[in-house]
Amino acid sequence: MNAKLPVRIALKSMTMAGMLIVLCGCWDIRDINHRALPIAMGLENKEGIYRIHLLIPQNTQSSSSVRIVSDKGSTINEIIDRISKDLELEVDLMHLKVIVFDRTFAERGLGDSVSSFMRSRDIASKTIAAISDESIGSLFQTLKSTSTTGGLEIYNFFEKNAGWSPQLAQTRIWQIFQSLHSFTKDVAVPIIKSGESTTMTSTGSAVIKNGKMVGRITPEETLLFNAFNGLSAQGKIEVMNHAAVVIDTDRLSHHSSVKGGRAVLNSRINLKVTVLETKGSPTTAMVKQELEQLLTQNFERMFARLQAEGADILGVGQFFRNRIPRDRLANWRTDYYPRMKLNLTFHTVIEDEGLLKMKP
Amino acid sequence: MEFLQAKQKQDPDLFLHRMWIAGQPVMLAGYFSLIDLPQTMMLLQQQARHAADSERPLSALASGLGERIDRADEQAVFTAISDGCLLVVPEAECFEGYLRIVPVSRTLSRSIEAPTTESVLRGSASSFNEDLDTNLGMLKKHMLSDLLRTRSYRMGKDQNRKLTLIYMEKHTDSSLLKAVCRKIEAHLDKEIPDLIALSEDVFEFPKWSLVTRFNTTELPHNASAALGQGKVVLLLDRYPFAIILPSMITDVFSSVNDRNYPLLLANAVRLLRIIGVLANMLMPGLYVALVSVNPDVLRIELAMSIAGSREGVPYPSLVETLLLLFVLELTLEASIRLPKSIGPTITMVGGIILGQAVVQARLVSNVLIIILAATTIASFTAVGFHNAITIRVPKYLLLLLSAIFGVLGLFVGILIVSAYLASVKSFGVPYASRWKNKRSPNG
Repeated sequence: MNAKLPVRIALKSMTMAGMLIVLCGCWDIRDINHRALPIAMGLENKEGIYRIHLLIPQNTQSSSSVRIVSDKGSTINEIIDRISKDLELEVDLMHLKVIVFDRTFAERGLGDSVSSFMRSRDIASKTIAAISDESIGSLFQTLKSTSTTGGLEIYNFFEKNAGWSPQLAQTRIWQIFQSLHSFTKDVAVPIIKSGESTTMTSTGSAVIKNGKMVGRITPEETLLFNAFNGLSAQGKIEVMNHAAVVIDTDRLSHHSSVKGGRAVLNSRINLKVTVLETKGSPTTAMVKQELEQLLTQNFERMFARLQAEGADILGVGQFFRNRIPRDRLANWRTDYYPRMKLNLTFHTVIEDEGLLKMKP
Repeated sequence: MEFLQAKQKQDPDLFLHRMWIAGQPVMLAGYFSLIDLPQTMMLLQQQARHAADSERPLSALASGLGERIDRADEQAVFTAISDGCLLVVPEAECFEGYLRIVPVSRTLSRSIEAPTTESVLRGSASSFNEDLDTNLGMLKKHMLSDLLRTRSYRMGKDQNRKLTLIYMEKHTDSSLLKAVCRKIEAHLDKEIPDLIALSEDVFEFPKWSLVTRFNTTELPHNASAALGQGKVVLLLDRYPFAIILPSMITDVFSSVNDRNYPLLLANAVRLLRIIGVLANMLMPGLYVALVSVNPDVLRIELAMSIAGSREGVPYPSLVETLLLLFVLELTLEASIRLPKSIGPTITMVGGIILGQAVVQARLVSNVLIIILAATTIASFTAVGFHNAITIRVPKYLLLLLSAIFGVLGLFVGILIVSAYLASVKSFGVPYASRWKNKRSPNG
């Protein structure tokens, strides 16, 4: 064996190890307990001046608490940087779960701030967006004062495997960004405010068109919106004159066509329901008919309003992307959508009548 | 005769005992420490009496008693004596040479006991001991087959250690067998006081190897199963383990004893061991990566509870982890050294008191205690103690890379470890390959 070989190997590995240590930049790494991990960010904008509120959970081995840090400035990153400077921790937005926009800010347009969130790498694009019906300061104070789990309530409120319910829209930052640039899709952003006996309550959803809030829909309409988007409406109870049912599953099928310059969408929603309560002794046929009528009515009312606002939050335009040439698709919101015909049929199957029998 | 007397002056253990056999004066020579002299003399007398009854002279008797050694061959005489044989030196000049007799020897080995490093729950539980012949006998008992072949070697110039190679005709791959035999025969003069010597001097395996090229086992059952699979087994005198060649990565995860359980359970247990080995290698690195470099991977609840538990910990997570790993390694090493009666006490002191105190003193976070305890437990899911030690090493590489590059570093580390394992070969058989059975007895 070459006598110099071990020396050479040792030299090589020492050089490698040395370069690894010198070049890696690992001295900038901060441990998790030296980072502030805000869970929610509130964003207000008054006359071009942003005001940011951060809801930062603070855990120790035995207790958990929340603190609110706020500051104002002309850009979001400048404010975060200033907060980071003043805080004893490094602000790290990667665990940011919810961004709450002020309502007046949303009405003026979220385009710039959403684009900057998408541009900067430190905020996840899956962060949930929400709009506050009251001032952000008071909403965050409520969140802080009622928190028992270190501020996780607002996250769990929107989290599908925790407190989410189908009356609540669930919209991510990337979806708002997508709607800014899409011809055929707008979004609904949940509107929240502090509740009376609960931490939060949802008062419906904001209809966002091109980044601007143009209207709102009620929680019940949000449910239909979710059902139409295939977000399972499972567990939702519909109360009618003669019965109350719970919707177990829904399945949708669509067929789109353009006739004489007018877009037509035939949609069929199959529902499987379980009967929970009855008043009197309705037959299954009556219950079915009543339910289909009720849903159709509600849906058509909502759709008519949305058409008037010109905001395609249901994304029905998506079904026409292969029917309308792209140059004309650009005018979907103005030329086609307001005149569009939606033929919606509900088809109900009573899957379960409960433990008592019903008349057919 | 004179040289024996000269030898006795140097070595008082050598006895030269005079006695009469069949009316002839003879001198007995041998070691007190190896030979049970009264029993042996009785045996000799008995045999002589039988011979006298049938009226045969001593010279004729000699051929029935033992092997004849030439008087001039000093080396052969000493070898015979140091092997523990009894030498009969007839004083009558009519008889040429010495007689080498297998005496009643002293019991210098343990009796057959249950294994100490491999516990068996459902399978044969006798284990090898220090005596080569006992071991070989046990192996033969486990493997009643006329295909079993043995080759015996004496290794070393000064020490003379017996090495027996066992294989199964028709089952063992002839190229493997040839390679093993060639290596042994080429290095017959090498001393083998330990396995490293066997590995480096005889088989010429690389010196700096992380993976042990021998799979050692204490159980004849395991050794016989390896023979059945077509592997080669070596037995070394005074070494209570069978050495199985070649060693494979599957030996880390599956033991022969698994086959005594239903297949589903056996596979579940093997999967568990794979998870255990991975957990042992990955968890410390993963902790450091997630706590320092990539906390974004954690769920928010977990991130918050870890951040809470690290509140007030003075060191960065790498130092924290190394500190506790060091204490754990010390505990492990100490518990091997310690007498059995004190062992549990140390485990208690190390595990519970130290662990609790270190958290209360806020030197490390309690999440880390959980992780490292799980890591240490997981490392011993690997089959065989030699494998359990082997997998203790790569986790430090992974830890270091994780501390620098986070989760990416962890994966690079896994890649390096995998590449290393894939590069290991013994006798042309890749370590990471699956052992192909030439002719399995059960298909």
